[in-house]
Amino acid sequence: MSGPAGVGIGWRPEIAGFVAGLPGLRFVEVVAEGVHPVGPLPDGLAELRERGVTVVPHGVRLSLGGAEPVDPGRVAHLAAVATALAAPLVSEHIAFVRAGGLEAGHLLPLPRSREAVAAVVANVRRAQAQLPVPLALEPIAALFDWPDDELDEADFLTEILDATGALLLLDVANVHANARNRGGDAAALLDRLPLERVAYVHVAGGAEAGGFYHDTHTDPVPAEVLDLVRHLCDRRRPPALLLERDGHYPPAAELRGELDALAAASGHPVVT
Amino acid sequence: MTVLAADTWGVPGPVFLRWYLVAAVALVVGTAVYRFRALAGTAVADHGALGPQQVAYLNGGDQLAVWTSLGGLRRAGAVGAHPDRRLATGGPLPAGVTPLDQAVHHAASRGLRSRELARDEWVRRALDELRDGLVRRGLALDQERRRTLRRGALLVGALLAVGVVRAFVGLTHGRPAGFLILTLFPLFAAFLLLNRVPWRTRAATAALRDLRRRHAWLRPSAAPAYATYGPSDAALGVALFGTATLWTMNPGFAEQAEIQRQAMGAGGSSGTSCGGGSSCSGGSSSSCGGGSSCGGGGGCGGGGGCGGGGGCGG
Amino acid sequence: MSGDLAARQAELVAALVAGGPLPPGFAPAPVEAARRALRRKRAAEVARHWPLLAAGLGADWPAVFTDWAHGRPTVGSLRDGWDLARALRDRGTLPPLGADELAGREAASRYDGRAAPRPRRLPAFARAGGAVAVQLAGRVRLVRPAPR
Repeated sequence: MSGPAGVGIGWRPEIAGFVAGLPGLRFVEVVAEGVHPVGPLPDGLAELRERGVTVVPHGVRLSLGGAEPVDPGRVAHLAAVATALAAPLVSEHIAFVRAGGLEAGHLLPLPRSREAVAAVVANVRRAQAQLPVPLALEPIAALFDWPDDELDEADFLTEILDATGALLLLDVANVHANARNRGGDAAALLDRLPLERVAYVHVAGGAEAGGFYHDTHTDPVPAEVLDLVRHLCDRRRPPALLLERDGHYPPAAELRGELDALAAASGHPVVT
Repeated sequence: MTVLAADTWGVPGPVFLRWYLVAAVALVVGTAVYRFRALAGTAVADHGALGPQQVAYLNGGDQLAVWTSLGGLRRAGAVGAHPDRRLATGGPLPAGVTPLDQAVHHAASRGLRSRELARDEWVRRALDELRDGLVRRGLALDQERRRTLRRGALLVGALLAVGVVRAFVGLTHGRPAGFLILTLFPLFAAFLLLNRVPWRTRAATAALRDLRRRHAWLRPSAAPAYATYGPSDAALGVALFGTATLWTMNPGFAEQAEIQRQAMGAGGSSGTSCGGGSSCSGGSSSSCGGGSSCGGGGGCGGGGGCGGGGGCGG
Repeated sequence: MSGDLAARQAELVAALVAGGPLPPGFAPAPVEAARRALRRKRAAEVARHWPLLAAGLGADWPAVFTDWAHGRPTVGSLRDGWDLARALRDRGTLPPLGADELAGREAASRYDGRAAPRPRRLPAFARAGGAVAVQLAGRVRLVRPAPR
């Protein structure tokens, strides 16, 4: 099964009909926790698989960044979904979602400390032992920093990737959000990342609120994020880019426009 | 056997029963065969040629066609509802609407209620036109045909009545009527079955099944993004999956326009049992949320940073 | 400053979702923004699982949910909405649409407020705020909508 290629879109049941109607589509991503590995796949996904579209399971609840060891049951589920979809790889986040018995309900950042690197690396290794395919890690957007950050973002990420051999799922919208909210030069950060490890790229929209830029996934992709995509493709074009949209779905024409803009910015063929 | 009284109507029991059975079988089989051939219809060659309102009529008759029109107009912003349950127009008609849409829009501008729409004169005429078109294509049955089919059922009913009378008369005169009464039960069942004359042909049923399969992503339990799909797909959603689509699409409007619930929930749609159908349900029959694979955390809708879902209202 | 990562992560989560104190060293403004964003996201997720309840409350939904959710960490969107609907029913402020939805769910599944809801196998009926729903062999029917 070939890896993700070209421009893709996040598969959601709410827009399954729209995704099914994209003629040039070659890859999608699906939230792993929403797929049952046993029994029939959701209708739209089964049809996409028949067409030969690559489907990448994307975990959101594994909590690889947690100090507690990752739950083997959750990793097993992710592995089973990957097998059911014949996926070439899976992806998850460098973040934690639960601690002290409480669910945060969202992805939370880790301190960029050596201790945290060790915790993430340990969990990623545990997960990789159970997964039949390679794992790609996505760094997240965060509104705040921990007080005891030792490393900067690029070094933190590079250390984790070097120690685990995992691939990188580069979320350009997150890079933009972090630069906007916590200062820093997004383009310069991109230059320092290990771009040769990029498996695919996330692009998503967001909105300003209360003085912060929120990576909502329910808004159109801002021009600055597309500029970053162009900058990234100038440095080293990633094999695939994925448009992430989780809600407030706009009319089909607008979604197609976003996919076309992504294709134009990255130099990949148009999928609409 | 001692004859206690004269034969009912002068015809001996076994003789009557024999002729009765022959008549019943002939009538039922004849009616059934005629019905089978009449309901065959013409196969639909090109599915795309069936508009949402035609699909709705085939699925649920007049009323569903009206609701389908209402759903499409609502999605396009052309109708709304007042708080006092009367309909209202929200804007001009979009381009390319059907005569039924125009009639419904006009009725809405007069402030009718949704349940009065099917009785409005202009709407009735549009519905008749719709049905005639479908009859010409061999997908629906017109009044004439349905009357003919019902006549067969009436004949069975008449025979049933004769049998009942004979049994009654026989019993009051002390004549045995056991076998006769036994034959009346299946005859009654046949009468009930034959009396229900559908308004669509088998070809239409097959076309509907196929459409529902190909548009499974439009079913309400998948919480389709109607804004993405547009008014005509929203209308098709109502046509194929019933008023549950209207309730999923716009509960406020459905409430104010007093749309009937659970009408034509065909295809086993579970309506609101899975709520908005989060990606955790994914169209499978798993429990919604709270299942072990969905974790205890909130939504399963995507990762990303510390963004606020559902709009950042400050 | 090294230390127990697990404990510090727990402190942060408690501060964000359970009304705990701000851990030392964190800037208050961004953490507060994160707290609000998490609340909005949670409200949106629960609204997806309980669309009629959210529609019934209309523009008041975010405020009603946030007030109720204060100090109550999430147990999953389905259960969050269920607990909220029951709380509103007990207070008498459950909107009619929400009552219809709650009655339907109560008839379809058994929920004790502590563990995940389980589907009922036997026929059942349920009442909520004037709405009455009946469940037979897995199919739920609202026999009487809540009075409006």
